Amino acid sequence: MPVFVLIPLLPLLASLILVLGGRRWGEHSHRIGIPAIGLSFGLSVGAFLEVLRNGPFSISLYRLFQSGSLAIDVNLYVDQLTVLILLLVTGLSGIVHVYSSRYMIGDPRYNRFFAVIALFTFSMVLLVMSGNLLMLLVSWEVMGICSYLLISHSAQRPSACRAATKAFLVNAVADVGLSFGIIMTFFTFGTLDIQTILGQAESMKDHTINIMGWMGLDMHIYPVTLIPFFLFLGAMGKSAQMPFHVWLPFAMEAPTPVSALIHAATMVNAGPFLLVRLSPLIVLSPFAMTFIAIVGATTAVFAGIVSLTQSDIKKILAYSTISQIGFMIMTCGLGAFAVAVFHLLAHGCYKAFFFLSTGNALRSVEPGHGHEASLHPPPKGMGILYGGALFLACLPPFILFSGSYEYLWGVTGFTSATIGFRIIGLMTVFVTSIYLFRSVTSIFVHGPKTYWPASGHSPLEPHSIRPQFLNGSILSSLLLAIILLGVMLTLFWSWFANFLAPALTYPGMSVHEGIVDSGSKIWLLVSIGVAIAGWAFAYSRARSGTQMVGAVNRSTRLYVLFWNKLYFDEIYDAYLVNPTIRFSHWLWRNIDIRVIDKVIHSIAIYSVVFAQWLWRVVDVNGIDRIVVGFGQQSVGMSQWLWRVVDVKGIDRIVVGLGQQSVGMSHWLWRVIDIKWLEQRIGQVGKQADTAGKLLQAAEPRTIQHQLLVMIVWLVLATVLLYILV
Amino acid sequence: MISWMIVVPFLGIIVMAFVRDEEWIRRVAFGTTMIEFGLALVLWKSFDSTKQGMQFVERVEWMPTFNIQYAVGVDGISILMVLLTTLLCPLCILCSWSAITTRVRAFMSLILLVEGAMLVVFTALDLFLFFMLWELTMIPMYFMIILWGGPNRIAAGIKFVLYSLTGSLLLLLGILGLYLEGGQTYDMLVLSEQTYSSKTQFWLFLALFLAFAIKMPMVPFHTWLPDAHSEAPTAGSVVLAGVLLKMGGYGFLRFCLPMFPEASMLFAPYILWLSVLAIIYGGYMALAQSDLKKLVAYSSVSHMGFVTLGIFVFNSQGIQGAILQMFNHGITTAALFLCVGQLYDRTHSRAISDYGGLHKPMPKFVALFFLFSVAAFGLPGTCNFIGEFLVLVGTSYISFAMVLLSMGGIVLAAAYMLWMLQKVALGEANTKAVEGLPDLSNRELATVIPLAILVLWIGLYPGPLMEMMDASVTHLVSQMGEVQIAQSYPAVYP
Repeated sequence: MPVFVLIPLLPLLASLILVLGGRRWGEHSHRIGIPAIGLSFGLSVGAFLEVLRNGPFSISLYRLFQSGSLAIDVNLYVDQLTVLILLLVTGLSGIVHVYSSRYMIGDPRYNRFFAVIALFTFSMVLLVMSGNLLMLLVSWEVMGICSYLLISHSAQRPSACRAATKAFLVNAVADVGLSFGIIMTFFTFGTLDIQTILGQAESMKDHTINIMGWMGLDMHIYPVTLIPFFLFLGAMGKSAQMPFHVWLPFAMEAPTPVSALIHAATMVNAGPFLLVRLSPLIVLSPFAMTFIAIVGATTAVFAGIVSLTQSDIKKILAYSTISQIGFMIMTCGLGAFAVAVFHLLAHGCYKAFFFLSTGNALRSVEPGHGHEASLHPPPKGMGILYGGALFLACLPPFILFSGSYEYLWGVTGFTSATIGFRIIGLMTVFVTSIYLFRSVTSIFVHGPKTYWPASGHSPLEPHSIRPQFLNGSILSSLLLAIILLGVMLTLFWSWFANFLAPALTYPGMSVHEGIVDSGSKIWLLVSIGVAIAGWAFAYSRARSGTQMVGAVNRSTRLYVLFWNKLYFDEIYDAYLVNPTIRFSHWLWRNIDIRVIDKVIHSIAIYSVVFAQWLWRVVDVNGIDRIVVGFGQQSVGMSQWLWRVVDVKGIDRIVVGLGQQSVGMSHWLWRVIDIKWLEQRIGQVGKQADTAGKLLQAAEPRTIQHQLLVMIVWLVLATVLLYILV
Repeated sequence: MISWMIVVPFLGIIVMAFVRDEEWIRRVAFGTTMIEFGLALVLWKSFDSTKQGMQFVERVEWMPTFNIQYAVGVDGISILMVLLTTLLCPLCILCSWSAITTRVRAFMSLILLVEGAMLVVFTALDLFLFFMLWELTMIPMYFMIILWGGPNRIAAGIKFVLYSLTGSLLLLLGILGLYLEGGQTYDMLVLSEQTYSSKTQFWLFLALFLAFAIKMPMVPFHTWLPDAHSEAPTAGSVVLAGVLLKMGGYGFLRFCLPMFPEASMLFAPYILWLSVLAIIYGGYMALAQSDLKKLVAYSSVSHMGFVTLGIFVFNSQGIQGAILQMFNHGITTAALFLCVGQLYDRTHSRAISDYGGLHKPMPKFVALFFLFSVAAFGLPGTCNFIGEFLVLVGTSYISFAMVLLSMGGIVLAAAYMLWMLQKVALGEANTKAVEGLPDLSNRELATVIPLAILVLWIGLYPGPLMEMMDASVTHLVSQMGEVQIAQSYPAVYP
């Protein structure tokens, strides 16, 4: 069993090898991709047999992380649903690999292309195999980034880059719903393991949570009702449902094989897959089911009509995909999950076929040659092709109308809704058969009407002209496989439904053997009739050729409206994207710079201003003046001191002392030793005279200063003492 | 062990002082940081992730009169920060190998100095030590900005210093308050065990919170960041965005939550809404930028919003997510700055409009740049996703509205990153000069490839990192939980 880990690992490994090898692989890149995908297809077949024999199994790999009660294990879960889609994904991816090994020759980013499509395949495989919602989210997003890389494959074309960014951002908005749904799921169920959640879903039906608890309010919601709704928002993005469909037509900027991969095998199938995988949870929420059905129905009709108005073959195909996926989503919303899976498989096969043959057709004509100029003779075997296309397109509706799901139409309980869904179903069938006719005709009878620079370089380059036989043979084998599969599946529809049933077990909705054959046949006939009517309508239109264009030109604004796809792109640009950017600029200029930064700056400026004021008023006018005044005062005082004390006091004393001593010496001289003492006393007198002179000469300012300092210290000491005591 | 880690950068500076040759100066600096990284790995190896408390504790009396110690140690939270610091510093030196040509010795010494200081900040167990080195980290950054920075460097440098000083002042106030209220000690472990009165908690929390919020930076204290980031040399931006901002978040986890749980609860609603505001506001700001470095800088504001959001929901998912987000942000933003620096080295322009069509001349660069950009907006499978997802799961216990709004921030992140990529990497070259740019050299590859590996490794296998901090976070959460029960707070949880 662990060998099936290789199903996702091999493409990942191939991708890693190609990325690490860089340009060294060059033209040999496909030699790594093809065997890896081929092997994983082989393993998928093995897994299919294993499931057929022993039922679902799961593979535990390692613990991603654990945080509190949130423990995430990387584990793969393989059941009936998984293996069917695995077969589709790996098989188609293998075909696309082989096809692009010829188609992309000469592309300067050949190795990058193969690295990314391998990674793309890996992410889809991981998506269908993931055992918990976090892994599902991871692969979901990795797929998104791969689509970004593939759409921007010819990166020198600005339109391709814009398309890539657009595709990712539209998905990013929708993925908010998915991530939020996942977080809410964890909040409700305390786990992210899909099987555990599905097992608990029934019992959590009446569980409520208070979402306004942080505000102290009571606002209870039923998480089980809301979770499917949020999860479906993510599915709307990936599956290009209205109003998130805008990215898919732009994704046509990718090389044609990538379109085949996106439309048939990966990406858009993720949405229906998610719904089917979580079907036991989703059916618990009538609100979400109704929402899903309405979104799907709207998308199916809208995209179908738009595809009728388009003139570009790749756009027709894009909108047809949107419409078909819408149909699948609608059937999911009605509860016919097995039909959705069946449709998904059938649609995958024939859409891949269409895209690959479109690629061939686009390559085989040169730009500038419209279909008028090069009317290809219809190839042989066109009858089979027409038949096959019609057959495949109408298969799922046939089954849906065949009676086994008759009761599903009443899912909402309103008769009007029942009728509405019936009408929508039939409309889809009608429209589908028209545009299938048109696209088959335009590819194989007329050639492409416009040149779509899908591959990024002009087909005039010599290397782009390549042998067709290989691709041709691939295509015919694919066609055969499709028809075979279709016939088989129709024949064994009841087997198919029963095979899938264990993956969809929930009370009251499982399909039992025998139900398929019962039920009224009238709706089946109606739907076939409608399909043939559409076919005939398209044929008659095609016969009258230019009349159609004329009629269209004359016709109403409605046509223009649909031709412009209801202006979705323009509305998003004008009301969502541009305002966001303008708002961000406004916010930056007016709030960040003019308010926040300015406040900070003005704090700085005002503190400088305050400091200056402080300096002027307090420092200069106040303290300085005081100090200066103090200084002047002390100078004055010291001068007074000098005058009074020094000159009048001490000087007089000293001078008096000198005079006295002179008088005494005179007396001594006269009395004691006139002769010896005469000299001494003369000296003393002289010395005293010098001392007096010195004292007088001693700089009065020095004394002043010393005095000043002493006074200041005294004052300070007094203050200090006062405080201390 | 930790002391050795702290000493080695300073030894490196001393050794560098005796080296003449510029090439050898770079080699010595690089060698020193590599030794540091090796030591950090050894530390990680011998770290016991099952224990809750501090490990490898070393204590020496420093100023016994004031009860100041030299005390270091690591727990599950700080060891991640230590790893991040030691991981980014060698890359800083590699990226400035040829970009810095003047005063090489001074520049390398500053990097080593800031590394040493940051290591102490993340390991210090003594508040005084913490504060001193917190201050010290600012000085090398200031000189890096004003000496090797861009054209507007002086203003940016002064702004950075003034902001940081304001923060430091508040931090000092908070620390002195703690010292006085917590029994005259600077020992963090002792302080965090004590309970403080509500009023004390209120004021001390406010002071410390503002200090860390400025460092973080939270809106509306973020305006220093774009200027400082865009004017700093590449290595400076890397250190600043990669590690210095984490000091704020680390501060919340180390001080605010364990010491003032009551006040944290009180302020949490405001902080949470401020974080949500920061996430969205940062996203809008980044969307408006035409300067590569400013774009990355504003995206940091947005990412730091996730960190504060995670920290203040007080549950283990939120806090683990926040710590992981800090680590991851350190890696991806540093990598983005390195990439922008590599472009800047070639053309000396940071304007987005000067590039375009880089996928042709520089495919390797574009591949790596692409990886880091998608990681920056949290693409699942890359490291940021795990952090953001955990934070959002944690937040969902508080409010679904916050979760939804934060997810809006992620969409904005995808928008600005992809638009930036579209304008820089895809399309046609806008100038002739861009067409002939050389692709990454081996040294440049060596600078960013380790980060690329980490981005994917953590994105696909975050287990080991989560395990490492698990015990410490559990301890923290249980502390908060006790308070919540003891104070019988109104139900924060629905």
